[in-house]
Amino acid sequence: MSGSRSLTPFYIVLATVAVAGGVFIALQLGKGPQRLALSTVGMPPVAGERGVVMGSDSAPVEVLEFSDFECPYCARFAVLTLPDVKNRMVASGQVRLRFVHFPLDIHAQGPHAHLAAACANEQGRFWAMHDLLFENQDEWVRSRRPDRVAEGYAERLGLDMGRFRSCVREQRGWSQVLADRALGESLRVGGTPTVFVNGRQLSDPPSFDQLRRIVDSLAQLAPAAPAPARR
Amino acid sequence: MRHRMAVAVLALAGLLLSLYLTLHRLGLTGPLTCGADNSCDKVQSSVYADFLGLPVAAFGVGGYLALLVVALVGLQPRYVQRRAPTLLLVGLSALGVGFTAYLKYLEIFKIGAICRWCLVSAILITAILIVSGAGMRGQSAEGGGQSGG
Repeated sequence: MSGSRSLTPFYIVLATVAVAGGVFIALQLGKGPQRLALSTVGMPPVAGERGVVMGSDSAPVEVLEFSDFECPYCARFAVLTLPDVKNRMVASGQVRLRFVHFPLDIHAQGPHAHLAAACANEQGRFWAMHDLLFENQDEWVRSRRPDRVAEGYAERLGLDMGRFRSCVREQRGWSQVLADRALGESLRVGGTPTVFVNGRQLSDPPSFDQLRRIVDSLAQLAPAAPAPARR
Repeated sequence: MRHRMAVAVLALAGLLLSLYLTLHRLGLTGPLTCGADNSCDKVQSSVYADFLGLPVAAFGVGGYLALLVVALVGLQPRYVQRRAPTLLLVGLSALGVGFTAYLKYLEIFKIGAICRWCLVSAILITAILIVSGAGMRGQSAEGGGQSGG
């Protein structure tokens, strides 16, 4: 009996740790990927002329993404969600998709990818390069020469390589990348991917079904959303 | 047998932490975003976050659970005087420290990011090894002439 009595404080401590940890995990599960809400704090203006756009100017809904090519969750969003967005929403004229560069300082390889994408954009092939960079993120992120890997993608896309190489060498697209990032900073974008729908920031990157519901509700509310001027 | 109590508490904390990281790896928790402080996301979503087809954190769940069970069994009257649970704790935690060292190597030299949660786990398993080792030495000294069994 004395043995079990002396263990009582120990079991109390153990139970306290278990309860505290259990509550923490339950709270984290509550924040799970299914939760999505439109932010109620402010409605920052969207990008105006910034970023790279896919889709019709007259689309009633604009989905804007601040993205970092080296960010694994951006890759997940690009690979799992964006194809459906492009094929089912952009193609139907419901949505205009806007990519805004937001390279994070913590990612050392990312700038090479952003520059390559900006240079592909010079030749009108941004989205093809975007897809290749995200689909093959592991390859160039782990490479010692991500610029060469990106050059290989440019060749694969059939770009004018002389023009692409000179763009990279002269860093012609870099000012666009920096201007995009400055926009994100002015909007207090804290991480990637950060998604805005018609100027409203979503709390988490959405799944296609979540985006579908938001887009449907916005399309009913607003037949057309003019692109607000940049702040 | 204070060392077994301490190990049990530390192992439970490690178990909960590993469980959280496993759930995160499986995409069941929290917002999935990268930010200046989200090195854990980088580590958790790297190619090294799986080992033998399982999330690395799941091995932590198994390891900490084993430590917790051994520590609790070692506190039962029947086993409290025996050395075997302590030896087992030392062996298991040494394995854990070795595996953790490998993971730290990957984080620093391969992934280029340190996951803070993983660092907490590294501290926990190291503390468990130290406490178990101290317990073993204490038992040896106490045992002296006894055949601790």
